[in-house]
Amino acid sequence: MTDQDKTLAVITQFLTRADKSTDDVSPTTGLYGDGLELDSLEAAELSAMLEDEFGNDPFSSGDELPQTVGDILAFYEVAAPA
Amino acid sequence: MSTQPAAHYDRVHEAWTLIMGEEFHYGHFATPTTALDVATGALTSEMLELAGIGEGDRVLDIGCGTGRQSCDLAEQLGAKVLGITTSASGVAAATALARSRGVDARFEQRDGTSNGLPDSSYDVVWALESSHLMRDRAGLLSESVRVLAPEGRLVLCDIIRKREIPFLEVRDRRHDFATLRAAFGDAHMEPLEDYASRLEALGMTVLEATDVSAETLPTFAAWRANVDAHTDTLTGLLGEQGVTDFVQATHVLEAFWNDGTLGYGILAATKASQ
Repeated sequence: MTDQDKTLAVITQFLTRADKSTDDVSPTTGLYGDGLELDSLEAAELSAMLEDEFGNDPFSSGDELPQTVGDILAFYEVAAPA
Repeated sequence: MSTQPAAHYDRVHEAWTLIMGEEFHYGHFATPTTALDVATGALTSEMLELAGIGEGDRVLDIGCGTGRQSCDLAEQLGAKVLGITTSASGVAAATALARSRGVDARFEQRDGTSNGLPDSSYDVVWALESSHLMRDRAGLLSESVRVLAPEGRLVLCDIIRKREIPFLEVRDRRHDFATLRAAFGDAHMEPLEDYASRLEALGMTVLEATDVSAETLPTFAAWRANVDAHTDTLTGLLGEQGVTDFVQATHVLEAFWNDGTLGYGILAATKASQ
């Protein structure tokens, strides 16, 4: 399983737990608004799940919150050791 | 729209009646020892004073819940009341209540954020503690203003957010927020000033926007006292975990009230004459 697959697995696990659709989740899917429609609490829960799995997470580690699924994937691709 | 099963609705309704009293909302306490039913009556009185409802006035009760308020407005003031809720079970219960009381109040399953009612068709829009459950706050307010007749009034009271809650704080306190969501549903609180500014942007004149957090704070202790008084019955209705979760939720809310994160506001606004 690639890093991207692992990250998508955590996101899918979160969406299932939050009773949200896991259909058509792609890197361009927005996290808020017309995308996954996460509110601040749901974003916090996803943030905690990602940190539990990978030791850090893009919601807590940078100046700007991720806006898309692709932003989350990119965070771990950049953070992964060469 | 909610498809909450009627049996579940009835259990929650019975349990919340034991905890909150006949009026399902916060109390406005003159003193911390004021009786809960007196305090909830006082909050309703505050709303009534601001609404200025007269006999024959057309009133839209948004998020009418059990229909108790709508029936009271029709019975005591002679208003022509339509109560709306997204819950089919709520409509059925409210309709049955109106029938049992012989009151001319109607109830329909409609969404307050897109109500589908005619323009300028109500003298008063009444939203008692329902707006926090409507995520589309802009839709709720614009629809409320749209259906108000010229010089009509919107009166609203609800839980409010009193400061920005940074993301990392939401994350740190996510278990508290999750406790609230489990007990009270998918609530989204906004500052009282945001309600006022949105209404002003819609052309309304805000008559009053008052923070009554201190006056509503004793509500939580009063609810817990009722839980203590009816523990066995409530356990039968909600289960042991349900009762524990509810009590924990009141402690979380009380802490949020005390640290200035959440509170309670009451607001009235009027529409221009033309």
